[in-house]
Amino acid sequence: MRARLLVGLLGIVLWALLPHILSRYMIDLLVFTAIYTIAGIGVGLLLGQCGIVNLGQATFYGIGAYSCAYLTVELGYPNVAGFIVGALISMTIALVVGWPVLRLTGYFLALATLALSIIGSSLFYEWDWLTGGELGIGGIPKLDIFGFKLDTPGRYYYLAWSIAFICMLLVGNLIASRTGLMLRAMRDSSEAAASLGIDMQWLRTRVFMLSALLGSVAGSLFAHYVSFTSVQSFTVDKSIGFLLIPVLGGVRSLWGVVLGALFVTVMPELLSRIGDIHQILFGLALVAVVVLLPEGLVGLLATAGRKLGWSRVRA
Amino acid sequence: MTHDRDILVLDQVGHRFGGFTVLRSVTFSVPEGGIVGLIGPNGSGKTTLFNIISGYLALQAGSITYGGRALTTQSVQDRSRAGMVRTFQTPKIFERMTVLENIMVGACKITRTGILQDLVRSPHAQSELRQIRMLAERVGEELGLEGNLPAATLTAGQRRILEIARVLVAQPRLLMLDEPSAGLNHEEMRQLIATIERLNDAGLAILLVSHDMVLMAVAETVHVLNFGEIIARGNMAAIQQNAGVREVYLGI
Repeated sequence: MRARLLVGLLGIVLWALLPHILSRYMIDLLVFTAIYTIAGIGVGLLLGQCGIVNLGQATFYGIGAYSCAYLTVELGYPNVAGFIVGALISMTIALVVGWPVLRLTGYFLALATLALSIIGSSLFYEWDWLTGGELGIGGIPKLDIFGFKLDTPGRYYYLAWSIAFICMLLVGNLIASRTGLMLRAMRDSSEAAASLGIDMQWLRTRVFMLSALLGSVAGSLFAHYVSFTSVQSFTVDKSIGFLLIPVLGGVRSLWGVVLGALFVTVMPELLSRIGDIHQILFGLALVAVVVLLPEGLVGLLATAGRKLGWSRVRA
Repeated sequence: MTHDRDILVLDQVGHRFGGFTVLRSVTFSVPEGGIVGLIGPNGSGKTTLFNIISGYLALQAGSITYGGRALTTQSVQDRSRAGMVRTFQTPKIFERMTVLENIMVGACKITRTGILQDLVRSPHAQSELRQIRMLAERVGEELGLEGNLPAATLTAGQRRILEIARVLVAQPRLLMLDEPSAGLNHEEMRQLIATIERLNDAGLAILLVSHDMVLMAVAETVHVLNFGEIIARGNMAAIQQNAGVREVYLGI
């Protein structure tokens, strides 16, 4: 217990110090890691607790981003309005789409969410009066908290990660609660869960709405961080990237999502230094993780931790 | 034993799959606190009837009354929430959860907290979670289940007991058991019969579907289903003497 506390404290100190140690470039990657963690938690919640493959997260990410862009740049509303409007729109769409679609299971449901992503990215492209189309919307103001401008990666790092940690805490609560029990029961046998009085469709719809909310918040943070939104950021590729986060990291623990997000942000950057073949190498790295680590990166850490623990006992 | 009221009444229930009639004018009732058995060879329509009563299949013909109210389009979960619970012919346990968690899921329908309270770990949500854990521990203990075991490690017999524990935890009014003795060894069978009798003594109405004559001995009334029709009814001793039953069912 005391060891855990110590590790936790060290972790917090390290987390707080990182922006002062790392290069601006690395901090920038870590901000993206936080943003992807938030979106990835939503996808991971559906994947791990409900067994739902969600290939539509980029749509909600886009809605969060465009809401901030449009409301602040075009209409001059305060920053917080974009977050709220994006979250409300995302949750409404998740409700309207999720209610009929979440009757489906397995591949059919995965395809339906893929369709959501395709429709989303098409609309972002077509509705240029709202999204700026290919040109996008630039000049999104930097966030500030009580007059303190979060205009550097180092400053934004604290905000993005604080929100990511709060999301992890809340979703962790949910997983440990009655709702988590019911979700895992539905995942293991939907027929039995229904026979125990669980309203599967409504419960799954609400979790889908929560996942959409997380996607939207991540998108809003992204828009304010890069100050610019364009259709390229919200394509089906991005949805696949968000799904990779919990798949690579592992769904057994929420920390898996952090590791997965770290992998998809940092790995391509590291590999790009090698040269033109970096995309092939990233593909190979993905395959290696999926094939060699069925429980994801967090499973690897858990195994390593156990081994270290044993060797310490023996020594 | 006399019973004042019937908790479940089936009147002229019929069912067709395509052009094939699987149930024809099935009429019987389960009294409050009674044990009623339904036997019949494979393919006689027992499980179809079970699925209609519990809401997995739509009622096509006839009527079903549960606790004085007509059952028509109520969903599976609504019927479960009204205290009508069932087990499955092949136990459907939650494989990747522990035994205790499996039982706790059965108690979730008596909780009131929503997803928002669960997100922020509200005191009310926490106290409800503790409450269903306590209930689940008690029921698991009564039925001799080890709560910390992963459910996937249970034997066939323990899986059946776990299914029963899972539905009992929310204090049902009618327990429907679908072939509960299939795959059980002698000792597990003895334990199952003892459990059924104990639950019935405590006032729970039970509808038992099986083709196991030994198990059927616990039922007060037995209905024999053959090709979708009830061909005989009475206590087990009378059924075993019935010439028609001996011919179609026992093959003698």
